[in-house]
Amino acid sequence: MIAEETLVNELKNKESQAKAFEVLVNTYKERLYWHIRRIVLNHDDADDVLQNTFIKVYRNIDGFKGDSKLYSWMYRIATNESLTFLKQKSKKLGISDEELKMSLVENLQSDVYFEGDEIQLKLQKALATLPDKQKLVFTMKYFQEMKYEEISEVLETSVGALKASYHLAVKKIETYLTTD
Amino acid sequence: MFNGQSSNMKKDHKSKFKTPEGYFDSFHDRLMDKIQQEETVSETSIIPKSDGFGVPEGYFDSLTNEVVAKADQKEVKVVQLKTYKRYFYGAASIAAVFLLFLMLNTNNDTSLDFDDLASAEITAYFDDVELGLSSYELAEAIPANELTLNDVLENGLEDENILEYLDENVADIEDLNLDYEDYEDYE
Repeated sequence: MIAEETLVNELKNKESQAKAFEVLVNTYKERLYWHIRRIVLNHDDADDVLQNTFIKVYRNIDGFKGDSKLYSWMYRIATNESLTFLKQKSKKLGISDEELKMSLVENLQSDVYFEGDEIQLKLQKALATLPDKQKLVFTMKYFQEMKYEEISEVLETSVGALKASYHLAVKKIETYLTTD
Repeated sequence: MFNGQSSNMKKDHKSKFKTPEGYFDSFHDRLMDKIQQEETVSETSIIPKSDGFGVPEGYFDSLTNEVVAKADQKEVKVVQLKTYKRYFYGAASIAAVFLLFLMLNTNNDTSLDFDDLASAEITAYFDDVELGLSSYELAEAIPANELTLNDVLENGLEDENILEYLDENVADIEDLNLDYEDYEDYE
């Protein structure tokens, strides 16, 4: 795997940019896709947001100062793009953010790219009841198996606060799953 | 911090509560252990390990080419948009200055009143504009009892013309109950 610093330098250089961008997409496409998919839930929406995320990264690479790691910078863009996408969608449909989240979960039942069983569907319903940040922390830790330090860089929140959020999220989800 | 601690200790001393020796020294470590334990517990909890999402077959294989093509494509569009934007801003500022100039000029003029209008302009206005006045509105403006039919007709209407019209258009002229003595001359 190519070193991050080298990749950033190559991305900023016009001559090596195209090749480096291909490497960047190949390296991060799956991780970013799953991160986005767990926020927007629908495959087609995730595909749109993922492509926009990469295009934003490509276009703004000169503005990347290297204060944080490249992957956390991209995760941050992906997170913002996904949340903005949901906000625009709810505005377009004239419903609240909460109503949209619930309708996205309801749509999963007829989604051909959702193979979840009853308990997995219930898990999505539970996740839809959580505040955005708690849900993000939970999915990043539980499903994407990211370290607290990595999540901390992406969400710009202290590790202690993340641990508390994760703990709360787990409790809420467990309670939701065990009640009818 | 130290003051607060010492006063708390005093208070505790007074209420005779005690803690095991070294309780506060090892508190942080035990707390971290507990958090660690809870994390392990959550991993063995009822929350499913997978969330059941899938992707179309071969999606990730074709994704790179698609994204690379799109990134190149869209960049051209953005450059165009920015160029136009510059022109729009330029045009908008020129229009704004022009409008401001016009408004200032208008405000400086001495105010006009009805008397300044040439009567030809007023006549032209009534000729060109469909006023849509109702007969009641007309009657209010024009005293009907001082008006005869010939006032509103360009060519004067003679009795002869009227009788001719009636003769041609009315089936039985006697139905009109005309006083024939007045019209004997015309027979």
